[in-house]
Amino acid sequence: MTTCPHCGAELETSLGCGACQVPLEVTPDLDPFAALGLAPSAALDVEDLKAKHLKISRWIHPDYFAASPELRALAETNTGHLNAALETLEEPMRRADHIVSSLAGPSDAEVKDMPQVFLMEVLEWNEALAEARAADPGSAQRETALGLKPDLESQRSERVAAITKLLDPLPDSGSEALTTARLELNAVRYLDRALGELESLRLADAEAR
Amino acid sequence: MGYIELNVLNNQSSLAMGIDLGTTNSLAAVWKDDRPVIVHPEGKSGSVPSVIHFPSDGKQPDVGRAGRDHAAASPERTLFSIKRLMGRPAADLTDELARIPFPTNEGSDGVLRIDVDGRPFTPQELSALILSRVHDHGCRALSGEKPERVVITVPAYFDDAQRQATRDAARLAGLDLLRIVNEPTAACLAYGLDQEKSGTVAVYDLGGGTFDVSLLSIADGVFKVLSTAGDTHLGGDDFDYALVDLIVEGLRGELSDEELADPGFLTGARLAAERCKHALSTDPQADLHMVLASRGVTFHRTITREEFEDLIRPFVERTLDNCRRALSDAGVEPGEIDDVILVGGSTRIPFVRKSVESFFGRIPHTELNPDEVVALGAAVQAHILVGGNRDMLLLDVIPLSLGLETVGGAVSKLVTRNSTIPCSVTEGFTTYAEDQTGIDFHIVQGEREMVSDCRSLAKFQLKGIPPMPAGMARVAVRFHVDADGLLTVSAREESTGASTRVEVEPMSGLSDEEVERMLLASVEHAEEDFAVRRAADLVTEIGTMRTATARSLEGARENLDLETLQDIEAALETAEAATISPGDAAALQSARDELERATLPLAALLMDDVAKAALSGKRLEDV
Repeated sequence: MTTCPHCGAELETSLGCGACQVPLEVTPDLDPFAALGLAPSAALDVEDLKAKHLKISRWIHPDYFAASPELRALAETNTGHLNAALETLEEPMRRADHIVSSLAGPSDAEVKDMPQVFLMEVLEWNEALAEARAADPGSAQRETALGLKPDLESQRSERVAAITKLLDPLPDSGSEALTTARLELNAVRYLDRALGELESLRLADAEAR
Repeated sequence: MGYIELNVLNNQSSLAMGIDLGTTNSLAAVWKDDRPVIVHPEGKSGSVPSVIHFPSDGKQPDVGRAGRDHAAASPERTLFSIKRLMGRPAADLTDELARIPFPTNEGSDGVLRIDVDGRPFTPQELSALILSRVHDHGCRALSGEKPERVVITVPAYFDDAQRQATRDAARLAGLDLLRIVNEPTAACLAYGLDQEKSGTVAVYDLGGGTFDVSLLSIADGVFKVLSTAGDTHLGGDDFDYALVDLIVEGLRGELSDEELADPGFLTGARLAAERCKHALSTDPQADLHMVLASRGVTFHRTITREEFEDLIRPFVERTLDNCRRALSDAGVEPGEIDDVILVGGSTRIPFVRKSVESFFGRIPHTELNPDEVVALGAAVQAHILVGGNRDMLLLDVIPLSLGLETVGGAVSKLVTRNSTIPCSVTEGFTTYAEDQTGIDFHIVQGEREMVSDCRSLAKFQLKGIPPMPAGMARVAVRFHVDADGLLTVSAREESTGASTRVEVEPMSGLSDEEVERMLLASVEHAEEDFAVRRAADLVTEIGTMRTATARSLEGARENLDLETLQDIEAALETAEAATISPGDAAALQSARDELERATLPLAALLMDDVAKAALSGKRLEDV
């Protein structure tokens, strides 16, 4: 645990000191968990995370340093890191993506596949989506595709649960579990895209009506 | 370092002004005796119409109430709704431009110019006139104090270019802009202060020209915006124009098409429409009445509230679509909203109130004057910023995603909409060609997948990457969105530290130099000064280019073929001739461009040497 260079108090985050209520100079590649003063975890409590974010914001937000150009600039930078960290950790999939990368797991450019068991279904869904895309609004093909939504959604929550299980507790750096997690993350990304496409088809249908 | 500055902060004069710079009316407020108050001179309203009238004798323009008083008599010399023009290219403003009673054109910087008797005005300068007027008006109530530090509000859905334009307007008005605050957020601050609320709040803000909806969660003095949605081209003005269309259609037999499209006529019709609209907020029916004395023509029709509601229903539906999107982005159901706040003059319309009430299933708050609540909130934020209050904190979001163009014209998003600001995001990029020494970046804002569907903000190039195989360079691009919602981008090649930092100046926007020039230049000679200055800049640039070319030729002359050499020498001569008798910026520009073209082979040759040196392990400085 590092201490504040001004008052010597122990720091919850290196972004700023809660006792002095000022931002502190930090290295730019600060880990999002460290920025928020949290232990790395795939299963963290989002309410806890938000409470931490507000607490640290009250110490270092640029609004409180408008009178001093230097402090204001530092507060801008540090709050920028803090808010980016919140964005990364608040959403479970972005958080999982960050954990896989930070533990030297494969990136989505290195591992592009999806889990084997999932592939047959992907082929079927792709076919239904392609037919729906080519068909007219309100047609049977559209209805079939739109009917896939509950299926895709339950698949998504299953995959998300699987990822959290793989990453909690944190696996060892470079371990096989990270590659499995990457495959699952790719599956979720596929599902999100497919769900997004269903939504735009639904909107187009609604408009046509 | 921290302590000294904190003391300074505590000793500073604590007065700063909050200004609501509105499409139809503007208003100022300050923090006084532990609460925000609208400032207005004794016996006068605080509201200043956002109207500018240019007297035909060429005297100083009348701004505010005086401008508005002239509007009815000489609509052909009066400007309204300038806020709608802020930070937008002329191509996006066809409807607006048709209603401006002066000639308009687009400057080479992509910024609109309104030509008033030969003197061009940008929307930024016109807004600055209004800002100055509001500021003066407010200061008259402050017994000698003139707070130059201000907070100005903008629609939450304003993009980067529109925010930049507002910032420039403040500078042109000689004000020190502490912060740009989103209007719905400001309104929420004003309400939250009055009632010490906590919970989830929806702010529905329908003004003269813009619509915003923001959802906020309030707890322990922290006002956190969850999501925002809106339309910067939707407001009470649209209701007026729906009524204006009735007048135009009604008079089609009596007036020619030209007369019906005359901006002066349209302004008169607009004022009549506005009167009718206001009356319909209290009466079940009202007269839509316009006399065109010059042509002996009269239009008269009674409009019922039901007719009016049918006219405005499509616009109100559009606002509700935005509410749906804001709810979905925040992951909040309508039933989870604890309070609804109405802001903006257009929320006085009974049909608007009714629609909002049934959408959220709650009776909206209207305790605070919807015309004043934004300025009051701006004064609260101004008070926080000058160090008067650490119990409250405002956390706002960016309304539109920010990204970079990638292969095939697709957008790679770096900052997604509704991210809390300030926000810093860094992403890695690499080169795609062998020995590529520069990378072009194109910054866009918007939600669509393709660059062509988004708003183009800026383009820049990172230069000085050492030649290396494709995919080897490691370029970090950092987006920083500050608390005003304004973007700064920097790029860095990590193995050499080649670094480029751009203050994002929108593709159609004023550069810092232009703002300086407008501040300095006298009214009459502004355009002339600009041409002279541009010529001077070109002379300097050509000089630098000639020196560099001559120096490079010394070492490389024998490696160039005769034709290229002659080409370069001819271009050098032309360039020299152009700088000896400067004055014509166009000739200078073409000489500069010609020199650049002719020296391309020379540059390529030198680049090659650099590449060979790098591969053979020589330091770049030694080449």
